[in-house]
Parts: sequence; structure tokens; C-alpha cells
Amino acid sequence: MSVLPGSIIVSHWHRFPDSKEFFSRILHKKRRRKFGLLEAPMMPPHMNVDTIRYKVFISGKTGVGKSALAARLAGLDFPRMHYETTGIETTVTFWPVKLKDSERVLFFRFEFWDCGESAMRRFDHMLPSCKEQVDAMLFLFSFTDRGSFEDLSNQISRITESSDRVVKLVVGTKFDLFMHTDVTESDVTRFKEVWGLPVFRVGGDVSAGLGEVAPLLNALAEDLWHQDCIAASSVSIATAALSQTDTEIIV
Amino acid sequence: MLQAEALQLLCLTASSGVPLFSRGSSKQLPFSIIGSLNGVHMFGAGHGAQLSSCETEHGSRVVWRVFQESLMLIAVSGGGGSAISELQLRRLLENVWNCMVMVLGQDELANIRNVERLKREVRSCYHLIDMLLERINDGQGMMGYLTQCADCVPLSNSGRVQETLDSFTQAADSEFGCLVVHGRVAHATEKWWSRLAPQEVVVLLALVYSLSGTSSCDYPVFLPQGSPTVAIRLLCFQLLPGVQVCVLCGPKPSLYQAGKELLSRFWSPLLETLRGCLEQTDRSILPPSVNLRWDVQALLLINRESRRAITVCPRVRGGASANATPLLSSARRLELLTHFYTFAVTRYFTSEDVSPASPASEPAPEDFSQGFTHVPVQCYLVTDECKCYGLQSPQHQLYLLTDLSVPTFALRSVATQTLSAITAATGF
Repeated sequence: MSVLPGSIIVSHWHRFPDSKEFFSRILHKKRRRKFGLLEAPMMPPHMNVDTIRYKVFISGKTGVGKSALAARLAGLDFPRMHYETTGIETTVTFWPVKLKDSERVLFFRFEFWDCGESAMRRFDHMLPSCKEQVDAMLFLFSFTDRGSFEDLSNQISRITESSDRVVKLVVGTKFDLFMHTDVTESDVTRFKEVWGLPVFRVGGDVSAGLGEVAPLLNALAEDLWHQDCIAASSVSIATAALSQTDTEIIV
Repeated sequence: MLQAEALQLLCLTASSGVPLFSRGSSKQLPFSIIGSLNGVHMFGAGHGAQLSSCETEHGSRVVWRVFQESLMLIAVSGGGGSAISELQLRRLLENVWNCMVMVLGQDELANIRNVERLKREVRSCYHLIDMLLERINDGQGMMGYLTQCADCVPLSNSGRVQETLDSFTQAADSEFGCLVVHGRVAHATEKWWSRLAPQEVVVLLALVYSLSGTSSCDYPVFLPQGSPTVAIRLLCFQLLPGVQVCVLCGPKPSLYQAGKELLSRFWSPLLETLRGCLEQTDRSILPPSVNLRWDVQALLLINRESRRAITVCPRVRGGASANATPLLSSARRLELLTHFYTFAVTRYFTSEDVSPASPASEPAPEDFSQGFTHVPVQCYLVTDECKCYGLQSPQHQLYLLTDLSVPTFALRSVATQTLSAITAATGF
């Protein structure tokens, strides 16, 4: 499912001068702007920029840094200490993207969902709620915790079903703590070959720059857009198939 | 035992004294001391005496309390300039326990089957516990942790917001809805006030505040008094940065549905109104129609019937004369207000502690107030930093801090005027 980076959208667009006008809408005093749920980036009325909404579920074992990743992608401060998330939390972030062919600019509105593992174990409604209408999943492991890496395959097959139409990406966290790394480069390469999923690496301080989060957010946007395009082109076939089944049931 | 201004919280199993956790800013106490603290309490219990607190000459304190005959919480504070009062520590233990019940449920805590497992489970409460510890002296203008009343912010022109909250709550299959601005309740549904215990509202607000960085959430919560064994769901949505709406509900609607279908339908039309509310509270907790006297330094107003409170700490003086002394820092004024509240409540006024769950272990009021044959309705205190005046009526309690320039004989009329000015304008 995953597409070649940069084949549909302009990669590293945040470095180009023409992106400034758009990125300035998600920044405030050199930091990422915080948006309430009733808000969205304001563009001048003559520029018609569409916003498309996606729900992204962040999955991974306790302590790999699910909440920290959500905060990092949204450019928020995260607590110095690790605290368990005892329910479902969502974090909304906007990300402007330029399509390569049409040069059209879109605002992606990602809603990152994360849920603490023990809450998920104790309360049955958590996982179904996170999976409801989900568009993409990020599977997390920590470079400092081999167990979390080995659990990946298990996790992917447990949470997703083959029929699910979702974008899947794998993210390795705490990559900066290379002194304590427990997962080698060849482990990651082998995993990529077996699963055919891209693996991203994050870690270290966020200097509120866009560069650190851009590769992951762009890849997510690209894959989601690609998935939607495929879905749209197959709609006609699907409806035809559907109407056929309907008739069969009635008969 | 501890450095000045340090604060430690210990949790042990009541029967066997196994330490479950220890939180606090300072270095952890050595195991031998923890053992002694538990031992001395146990010794007392063996002789039919209940040890509830002790104090050193320098203002260090230890406060014990056993909850549900299962867990013992101990708060240890260092002395120093701004010593933490016993009342504050007592409230801290109560709030910590309520937070633990809210997150884990009472069953888990009252019937310990496996201590090692409980040790792991209890980690999920650390976020709230650390927040309570941090805020004991820096509530940022919120005193609910101490007063056990919900911190509120009265809004002007708010009929439409209340209506919207009511219908939004109903649409979310709930009767409990609440609009929170910067951690304080701006509006809540009728059932929120009438059916939730004030202590529950205080810990719910603490939880909502701890979630103020997220866009929305779906948290299972146990209500320490209303539903200690069955979890219900707290849904919370950040409408604007600083404005959250939350509901307590059952299995439906899902967070996704509520966020997608209900949120913008009900709240988008009020976007500008909410922005206005936010601006108003950024300026002052009180609506602009209330004119405080310029020599009022800070005040705490409690509605005793509804268990709500407003804390005001003006940022600037309106209409002060040129030779007026400058305002004390707001942190200092809040500290003084806390001290005065503690002073008045432990000595003169009836404490608002009416929680049905609080067992007889709550210490008797000090002997001092037992000597009275009547209930005092007003009290005052003059210090070298400010003058304080407290008054209580069946419905309200007002704690007022004023400049030293206010003549002591005039304090009473300043207090009564202030009380009527606020209640008339806000209906609080």
C-alpha cells in the first residue's frame, strides 16, 4: 500500500518559499499554534484551501512513547516524566501539503488517538473505540526496548484485520538514546522486508522545528491521500457490486 | 526529617505496612523512617489510640490516615518559611485517595489481593498525585483542593451558553455536563451540582485540568462516592485552548461519534461567545459589572449551599490613589488568603466538611472552638502585610484581604459591601 515518498506530494515542502504562507498559519511565535476543536487554520477568503480529516491510531506497548509521539507531531510540550495514559486521548494537528501534479495545496487535519495499554486491557470498549473509522495506524516500538520491537508483528496482526483499509506505518522511538539501543539496523531492515512497511525513527529534543516531524507527517499524508484515491476510483465498481448483492438478497 | 518546604507522600498497605509508593519533590525518605512512621501509627492502634498528626518545633508535620482499612497515606512536610498547615495536608490525603479511587476504583484499593500487581496499577495515578503535590502551595488561584468546593468563574451574559451545555449534554445521553475555562467551572448542568459530591467535582476538575493539552479524551472514571465500583466515562473536548466541555456518560456515544456529530453542531454557533468568555476570564475572574474597591487585595467567596467558590486576586488596581502601596505579588496574596482561610476555618467558622464518606477518623475541631457556646459569624486579623476579614452567613463565606490602609473599624462594612456587590452582579 505504501507509496514512494515524494511521488504524490512535494517532499520537504516546508523548506520552499511558497510554503511559508501556509505554514505560518500553523505557527505562532515560532512555535506550533494550538487549535481548539472548533478552530482551524485561517486562510484569506480568496484562497480556497480544503481541509481533509483523518483519524490515526497510535499503537504500542506501555512506555514506548505513544503520548510523547502525539505531542511531538503536534508540536506540544510533553512532560519530563513518563506518566501512564489511563484512557483515550486525542491530539489534533494541521499539516499543509502540496500535491505534485495539480500543485494544489491541502490542509491535512490529523487526529492522533492514543490509549494506555493497561486501560485498554481493563476496559473492553477502548480498542474498538480507537479502531472506529480509523484511517491510519502507527505501530510504535522503542529502540531501547527489544521486547517492544519483537511484539510488533504480534501487535500488527492482532489489531488489524486483512480486510481493513488502513495505512500502516511503523515508528521507532527514542532513537537518540543510541547508547542503550537494543534494536539493530539489520533487525529493522529484516522487519521491513518481511512486512513491507516503512519504518521511521524519532527521538531527541524537539526544537519546535518542522524538519523533525515533516518526514513522518508527509509520509502519512501521502499514504492517506493515495489510499483515498484508490478508494475513489474503485467506488464505481464497488457500488455496482453492492447493487448486485442487494438484488440477490431480495431474490 | 525533610528539608524546608519539601513535601513527601507515602502510601503503604494498612495491615502489613508494605510500601506501595512514595511521591514528592525531595529525596525519598529512607526505608527505616518509613517503617518507623508506620510503626508508631500501628503502635497507637494496638493501644486503642489513633495517631492522626504530629508537628515539630520548626513547623514540620506528619499526617496519617487509613482509608477503607486497606491503605495508609502519610504526608510528611518540612517546615520553613511557608509551612504547610495540617488542614492542607489532611485535604491532600483526602484528594489523593479520591484520585486513586477515581482512576482505579474502590475494589482494587480496598481488597488487595496481590500487592505487586497493585504497585504496578497504582502507577497510573502518579500524574494526578504529582499534580496535587505541586499545587498544594501553588494552586494558581485555585483553592478547591483546600476548600473542597468547586473553583468557579462566573460569566456574564451566559444564558445561551448554559442552554447549549444542557442540550449538548442531553444529546450525549448524559445529565452531567460541565464547561471548564482555565480549570474552573463556568457552567454545569443542574445534576452536575446536585448529584456529584463536592470532593468528586474537585478531583474531576483536577483530571480535566491534567488533560488540558489534549484535544479530546475518553477516560474511565470511578466516582469516589457516587459510583466507586462501576466505571463511567468522562468525555472531554477542548473547544478552544483553555475552554473544555466535558460530560459523564455511559457506553454511548463513542468518542468518535460525539466528536464528529455533536461537537460542531452545538458549539460552533457559540465560537465567538466562547472567545469572549476566555478574554473576560483572562482579564479578571469577576465579570466587568462587578467593581471591587481598589484596596481589596484578594478574596475568596464560598457558596456554602452549592459548594462553589470564587477566588479573586486582582492583577491591577482600579482607581487607586497615587500614594497607595503597591500590590503584593499575586502568589503571596494567594498564600496569605490560604493561611487566613485555614486560620478562620480551624478556629472560628464551621468547617465545610460534610462529606458523608469521611469517617469518624476526621479529627475533632480544635479545643479552641469547642470552648464557644455560639458560632462566630465574623472574624478579623491584622498582620504587617495586610488586613483580613472573614464573615459567614447561612449561604456564604467571604474571606477578604485588604490593604493596611483600610481602617480596622471599616473592615466589616468593606466586607459586607463586597459580598453584596458580587452576589448582586453574579447571582452567585
